[in-house]
Order: sequence, then structure tokens, then C-alpha cells
Amino acid sequence: MASDMRLPVLRKAVSVSSAGSDRADHKDLVVPGDVITSDPGFMRGHGTYIDEEKLTASVAGEVERVDKLICVRPIKTRFNGEVGDVVVGRITEVQQKRWKVETNSRLDSVLLLSSVNLPGGELRRRSAEDELTMRDYLQEGDLISAEVQSVFSDGALLLHTRSLKYGKLGQGVLVQISPALIKRQKTHFHNLPCGASIILGNNGFVWLYPTPGQQEEEAGGFYTSLEPVSLADREVISRLRNCLLALAAHKVLLYDTSILYCYESSLPHQVKDILKPEVMEEIIMLTHHKLMEQES
Amino acid sequence: MAGLELLSDQGYRLDGRKATELRKVQARMGVFSQADGSAYIEQGNTKALAVVYGPHEVRGSRSRTLHDRAVINCQYSMATFSTAERKRRPHGDRKSAEMSLHLKQTFEAAVMTQLYPRSQIDIYVKILQSDGGNYSVCVNAATLAVIDAGIPMRDYVCACTVGFVDETPLADLCYAEEGGGGSSLALALLPRGGQIALLQMDAMTACKGVSKVLDEVVRQHLQDVSVLTRE
Amino acid sequence: MATVQVSEAEKVYILHGIRDDLRVDGRSCEDYRHMEIETDVVSNTDGSAKVTLGHTVVLVGIKAEIGKPRPMVPDEGYLEFFVDCSANATPEFEGRGGEELGTELSNTLYKVFNNKRSLDMKSLCISPGEHCWLLYVDVLLLQCDGNLYDAISIAVKAALFNTKIPRVHISADDEGGKEIELSDDPYDCVRINVENVPCIVTLCKVGHRHVVDATLQEKACSVASLIISVTHKGTVTCVRKVGGGSLDPESIFEMTEAGKRVGKALHAPLMKLLQQEESLGKKRQKVGFLG
Repeated sequence: MASDMRLPVLRKAVSVSSAGSDRADHKDLVVPGDVITSDPGFMRGHGTYIDEEKLTASVAGEVERVDKLICVRPIKTRFNGEVGDVVVGRITEVQQKRWKVETNSRLDSVLLLSSVNLPGGELRRRSAEDELTMRDYLQEGDLISAEVQSVFSDGALLLHTRSLKYGKLGQGVLVQISPALIKRQKTHFHNLPCGASIILGNNGFVWLYPTPGQQEEEAGGFYTSLEPVSLADREVISRLRNCLLALAAHKVLLYDTSILYCYESSLPHQVKDILKPEVMEEIIMLTHHKLMEQES
Repeated sequence: MAGLELLSDQGYRLDGRKATELRKVQARMGVFSQADGSAYIEQGNTKALAVVYGPHEVRGSRSRTLHDRAVINCQYSMATFSTAERKRRPHGDRKSAEMSLHLKQTFEAAVMTQLYPRSQIDIYVKILQSDGGNYSVCVNAATLAVIDAGIPMRDYVCACTVGFVDETPLADLCYAEEGGGGSSLALALLPRGGQIALLQMDAMTACKGVSKVLDEVVRQHLQDVSVLTRE
Repeated sequence: MATVQVSEAEKVYILHGIRDDLRVDGRSCEDYRHMEIETDVVSNTDGSAKVTLGHTVVLVGIKAEIGKPRPMVPDEGYLEFFVDCSANATPEFEGRGGEELGTELSNTLYKVFNNKRSLDMKSLCISPGEHCWLLYVDVLLLQCDGNLYDAISIAVKAALFNTKIPRVHISADDEGGKEIELSDDPYDCVRINVENVPCIVTLCKVGHRHVVDATLQEKACSVASLIISVTHKGTVTCVRKVGGGSLDPESIFEMTEAGKRVGKALHAPLMKLLQQEESLGKKRQKVGFLG
């Protein structure tokens, strides 16, 4: 039995090495109301507005210039989905012919009955029976991985799970972090060498689960195994979870390499100690160093 | 004769400040991790916490949904131990309802709600310690929290309370000065454009002073938490 | 976030983990999360404390007022509890949404302190039958991440330790009545003896085992919990069962024993920390929410 009580300490952000601070100087940081440019040749993107022919920022963040398009990306925001994004979401409502999914965006996302893979093959037509038994497939509280099919005019997302790699999620751990910390990559499904698998949802929901064995891969879709997960796998997953929270707390971009380096740096410590402030700082410093080395 | 006590002949106020001097401001953004945006601000002895949730789907009565913009929902409340005399109810009295409405109107003008149709943005402000200028400190805290949540705004919203003593304006009143006779005015302002009605020039300069301080806080926070990106 | 939704598969994962004594964040069944305690955070009060347990943040302020003692016990002062579940914690608590939970929490606090030994109420008496000290203990819940009872009880104990009640001089005035004078000197004050103040331990029954300091996800998997308030000697002052499920007598006995063990071990580090903080005095850098 252990209880870790302490007095709070004024904490400074983890200081980055000199290479990192150079990079920080190149960044153009703006706050709401800052004029970015008065040049009429630029187009305005997200996070900006036109005020008396001057392009002004409306959020606090970094200015991104892509050719003639200027937008400002805030450091923390709800998920703004784009077509093709991989998301992990939780079912909040079962409605007629569709499910409402919570994906940390400004409106709940929609998953249509016609957009899911039903057991029994892909090409089956949706019958009236399917409507009545929607809860047998997905009920409130279930987690799914899906892809964004399209975006409605008011910003709500339309999801689909029409591929064997998407679908209902089984046993594992969900970690919720800010969407801005997930790096966009070619693939968001990784089988990490340390012994667990991870789905990095673009919406900030990260799903950790034990790597499925060969037979289970064939089932796909909606089969969830309720067999107890082995202790070794559990430890790996718990350690990964704490590492993710440590990385998120120090605003480090998350992708498979940074997570792996963090995992390796945390091995000398006990799993439950990782979230202690001083241990977190040490692990993040080591992770930074490894990432810098890999750069150069 | 109350004027003599509030402002001495040498031009010093009850707490030693000059007439147009603001109280010391300390602020922090991102205080709570579970909310979308949060901020804590101390103006002298007045301390306030603001928390923003959203934008998210409209909870409760769907009838409140607006098809072309977001609904802003504010609640102002004070901790029961915030005032010198214990307050029985944290919110629900007339004054809190009035302040909540004030906040809602102020932020509806500043937040670009037309970008979020059918959603709701919740702003909750809590006064932890009250020493005058409650409304102003709330507005300043809420501005920082909304910026922290990444919700687009036209400009900062800065507020300040100003009072008059014998034709001398006093900026940023503390509790003793608010109650000590003489009138007081709370003003919320968008500093760059000077929008939202202003009645006195001195209120505007006091607010601009506040906006400078808030600007520093946000820029410092941005520097501290910029994500290290690899290109 | 007063409650979270968890899927069936997640529940199974959590259940099996607790059975194997390895919870989702790597703790064992009787470990607490990282806790930070600070006193003297609000200056308008006579005593205050802020406790952060995981992501749960609780702020307690104590104000001492002079009032009339209760008719049944004329020679004692008393405590009044009020728990404010503020909307800051979750939008569900907006308006009157947090009242139900707040009433439940304050009722439990009343029960915990409703005995002769926790606090010496006689020391709060000024003149029997006429004047006594009445302590308003106001709890403000700012962020909710499970285990509210434990965090609140630790914050209340820390705030009581920090409370400074001004010394009172009673003198007879001209008409033969009593006149109360509060000492002007801010350092001339009375401290409260918090040695016997109990701490609450919440034990959640998940599957066949119980866990201490449950997170919101673990709470969603449990059917019932037991709340036990324990003093530093291991004496139990209050036991309550919360939750919709039922507990069999053996598990209640087991959980009570575990609660006594865990609760007893909380007091020593807490008192040590509070005394350490006090000894730092003016040198201590006040953090509050600016950390």
C-alpha cells in the first residue's frame, strides 16, 4: 500500500536543447487580433478573418503558410475532421438506421447502418431486421475505429467502417489526449515491437490493445474476445498508457517512434512511478535526446 | 468627504497605488486538463477561475439549438468563502444571474459563433476570492480560457472597473474603494477596435493597460507549449 | 465528467486486471495516485487547503463565526458543512445539477464528524449557552476524476490544521452582560487539534476484489462501494455503502479491514507533510493555481 503525498512545486516546462529553441524562433506565433498581413494577394484559411482588408488571426497559435493560403493552427482545439482521417469513437446513441458517435469534435459524428460491415459478408442488403437488431452489433458505450467518409456542411463527420481493419474494438485501454498532438502519418495502426498494438486516432483518442493472434485476425468486424489478457501484455499496455500521458503532458508530438523511445526510456522505472512529476521529466528528457539523435 | 480617504493629497490610494495604476496581475492558462480551455487570474487580491467546455453538441433541450451559430452558455458563481462575510449560496441569486447574462452578451459579441452552427459553448467562471472588480476579473479570466480552448475570437475582451473621486478617475477599484462612496463603472472592451460602448477616456486607457498584460500572458503560454514539430 | 461510459470489453479488461492486482495505470489494488496538498490558498478564510488527487481538485475554505450553541449541547461549538459541486468540474453540474451530489457528500461529512472524539467541540465554546465558535467548512469541487470522498476528507483535515481562530476575551460590561472582544493581534490565535480527525477511504468492489482510489473507469465497472472513515489509531467512525449493487457480509468485513489498514496509513504522511509545510513558514513559495 502506498500513498504519494507531497507539496506542490512551481514547475517550469521541460527545457528543450538548443537545437529546439532555434526552431522555436522560426515559428510565427500570433494571438487573436494580431494582423498577419495587409497584402490582398493571400487567401484566408482556418483561424483567420478579414478585418478592413487586413488578414487578422482569430486564435492563438502558429501561422502556417502554404503558397498563398494562410491559416493559424491553435495549440489546443476540438477535432476538425477531414476526409480520410482515422478516428476512434464511442457510441453515444442508437437511432433509426444510424449510430451517433462521440469523437471529441464539435458535433457528434454519424455512422450509418449502411456504412458498416455486417457479419455474413459485405454485399448483403440491409433488411428491416437489421434495423431492429442494431444494438446487437453496436450499443451505447462501445468503442469503434472508423474512417471519415465525408464532412457535413455544419461540420459533423460521416464515418464508415467498410474495411476489415475498422470495426468494434475489444479489450484494451483508451487514452484521450489533444488532437493537435497526433502526427499525421501514412498509417495509424501500429504493432509495436514491445508487444502491444496501438491505434492513433486523429481525433486524439488512442487505443492500446494486446496484439491479436493469427486466428483472431480472420474474424474481423465484430468478434471481440473476452479471454483474460496475459499479465505480461497488461504490463506493456499499462506502461504505454503512462508513457502516452507523460508525452501529452509535455506537449510532445505522438507517433510510433516517439512512443517507442519513451517506452524504452521508461523501462528502468516502475510502471506506476512514470506519472510522478520528476520521473516524467527525466523520461521526457531522454526521449527528446533520442529523437534529436535520430534527426541528425 | 469620503473622497479624501480614497485618494490622499499626494495622490496615493488606500493600497498605495496611484490613481491610474492597475493592480498586479498574475495569470495562468491551461490550469485544468479535463476541460477544453481553462485559465486562472489574480488581479491584486481578487482571484477567479474560468473554464470553457466546447464547442460540443447541444445538451439538454434541443430547442435551444441555433441553426446558423453556436449558443453561448455562461454561469457566474462565487465560492461561499470568497467574501469577507460568508455567502450562503454560490449562485442562483439575482446578482449572479445578472452577471451571467452580462458575460453571455459580452462573449456573444466577441466569439465568432457563426463558425459553429448547432453547437454549444459553455463558459463557467468561479470567483475564489473577492476584493473588488469581480465582473472585470471574470471577463479577463474567461477571455484567457476561450483562447486556451482554441475558439476563434475577433479580439481579446478586456475589462476594468473605474471609479470617480472628486473628478479624478481611479482605475481598477478594490473592494474598499467600490463601497466607499462615489460611482464606479465596469467596462468591457475589444482593445484593437475600441468596440463596445465606452463612456470615459480613462476607462479605455485602463482597459488597454489590462489588454497589454493579458497579451503578455498568452504569448508566454504559446512559447511554453509550442509543439516541437519535425518537418 | 461525473461518470464516464465504458464498453463491455473494456470492463472485462479492467476486471481481469484488478483480479491480477495490476490496474490500468500500473497501480496495485491499494495504491493511491499522486497527491498534492497545499494549505493557506485563500486569504479571506480562517483556514484553507487545496488537494489534487490524480486529476481531482478540491478546495476547502473554513470560516469561523461566533454564534449561539445548539440547545442540546450548550457547552460545545459545531461544524457546518457545505459542498459545492461547481460547473467547472463538468457541465452536468450547471445550475442545480450538482446539488444532489453536493448534498450527499455533505451529509456523509456530517456523519463522519458526528462523534465525541474527532474534534474537541468543547474547545470551541466561548461562554456556555450563549456564545460559541461555529466553523463553516465549505468544500469546492473543481475537477472530478473519481474518489471524491477521500480527496475531500484529506482537504478538510488539512484545512482544519491550517485554521487559526482568533483568541477571545470575555469581560463583563456595564449592564452585567458579557462583552466579547476579539484579539487584534493576527498572530494571537487558537489552533485546532486535528490528531483524531478521520480520513475517508472509499473501497470499490470490482469483481471479487476491492480497489482503493478508483478512477472513473474503474468506478463504472463496480457495482457497489464502501466508504469508511478511519482515525489515525485505526478507529472507524462511520461506514456507508453507496451504489446500486449489493455486498455480501464477508466482503464487507474484508473491505472494512482493508479500509482500516489503508486509512490508518494515510494519517502519518499527511501530518508530516502539513507540519513540514508549516515549518517552512514565509519561505514557502505559494503555488495555488499558478503552478
